[in-house]
Amino acid sequence: MEDLLSVNKLDFFYGQNHALKDVTLPIKKNKITSLIGPSGCGKTTLLRCFNRMHDLYPNNRYQGEIMMEGENILGDRVDVIKLRNSMGMVFQKPTPFPMSVFDNVAYGLRLKSIRNMSVLKEKVEKALRQAAVWEEVKDRLNQNAQGLSGGQQQRLVIARTLAVEPQVILFDESTSALDPISSKKIEELMVELKEDVTIIAVTHNMQQAARISDYTALMYIGSLVEYDDTATIFTNPKHKMTEEYVTGRFG
Amino acid sequence: MNNLKRRKAANFIAMTLASLCAAVGLALLFIILYDVLVEGLGSLKPRLFTQDPAPPNIAGAGGLRSAFLGQGLLTLAASIIGVPLGILGGTFLAEYGRHLRICRFISTLSDMAVSIPSIVIGTFAYAILVKPMGGFNGWAGAVALAIIILPIIVRTTEEMMSMVPWALREAAFALGAPYHKVITGIVWRASMSGIFTGVLLAIARVAGETAPLLFTSFNSNFFQLNMSRAVPSLTVSIYQYAASPYESWVGLAWAAAFVVTILVLILNIIGRIIVKMRKRD
Repeated sequence: MEDLLSVNKLDFFYGQNHALKDVTLPIKKNKITSLIGPSGCGKTTLLRCFNRMHDLYPNNRYQGEIMMEGENILGDRVDVIKLRNSMGMVFQKPTPFPMSVFDNVAYGLRLKSIRNMSVLKEKVEKALRQAAVWEEVKDRLNQNAQGLSGGQQQRLVIARTLAVEPQVILFDESTSALDPISSKKIEELMVELKEDVTIIAVTHNMQQAARISDYTALMYIGSLVEYDDTATIFTNPKHKMTEEYVTGRFG
Repeated sequence: MNNLKRRKAANFIAMTLASLCAAVGLALLFIILYDVLVEGLGSLKPRLFTQDPAPPNIAGAGGLRSAFLGQGLLTLAASIIGVPLGILGGTFLAEYGRHLRICRFISTLSDMAVSIPSIVIGTFAYAILVKPMGGFNGWAGAVALAIIILPIIVRTTEEMMSMVPWALREAAFALGAPYHKVITGIVWRASMSGIFTGVLLAIARVAGETAPLLFTSFNSNFFQLNMSRAVPSLTVSIYQYAASPYESWVGLAWAAAFVVTILVLILNIIGRIIVKMRKRD
């Protein structure tokens, strides 16, 4: 199985706070990797290293590397804007922009200077179909996206991310603010999307990790406890802590 | 039981006092409005808008057309100077400078600047733009008004932009947007109606100002809109006419006061309506 990304001895600091400690794990291409662990364990911090979201705030520091196609994406010379183009991110709460459904999905395309309306239309429709929300919004493309339901907004955000054709999509607890039916739709969507993209998902929901992911990593206080294929993590983990966590005895 | 009675009594006293204070404030406001309405409507004639000032001894002549235009011009020039500066300044405070300690200081200073008496700003503009230029001029008036609206717009812009959730900015960053595009395309758009309201209320605040103009653009009895000379001003005319011994001038002052009050009221009401519509969204 091919590794798209490999995290090697990654440490991360929020100022003096040592938030990630010596994390090493592979991310397999076209698979779903779940990051699980109790609150504050560093799973979201790790996720935000992949698209260098931490660069937005002062005093954050990376140490170690995340290799992607022979290049350390944490390097100083990396074009963060280009990197973020290939690493989409979907947040916990839906983040539709204050503009129409169409303009939301076209936002990333327009950033890439795609202005041709017929190209935009085609790509927007493709992305909305891919995100399984086309049927629900096709008649309201010109309406404000903030008027959609939460589940529709989240799928719209996924469409917006897909439109720029990223290699990886980072999901940061993206179903935790949604009702069960909407979360189920997003989960099914994530599984379908594996064909085109590699997915890294942070989740608090153990059943969700077990249902959808191929690989699972358990983190605890900034360190990686165990990484393996999901079946092993949930049925036959090597570490006692993993067993206790996945069976709900701690965390 | 005794305790409950005491609390009820305290509540009654507090409520009565608060209601009384509100009533006094409202009553004063309505007395002013009533006076302006009755006196103003009584002397409101079409020539107020069609004729320029005339000497008081000519019966049935004279208006304040040039003063309306001059006041409009001064307000417009003040907005052209103050609005972009204010919005860009507020944007800096809310975005690029949000981690800098000096920006917290600037915010606090702006809050204080909002309550500087406008006559002080007038004398400041006099010192830097009237005295060196050798006489009253429109630019000095426009700058004085711009200085008044600047801190108001800076603070509302900063507040409105800070209210836009960070997740929205991060979502745009995550798509590979550079910071300036996140600001112009997302944050401004999300806070647009709030910023617009702030601008409107700031303009309403200076549209009826007199004190900062007394020392700067002063007034002119002629139809002249050259900004490098004294510019006719409605509010200064009201001030001069109202204090004059001539009945026809006093009447014009009332009519003009009525029109200014209505205009400022309308600007304020539009602003409030936008705020209400925003809250409903």
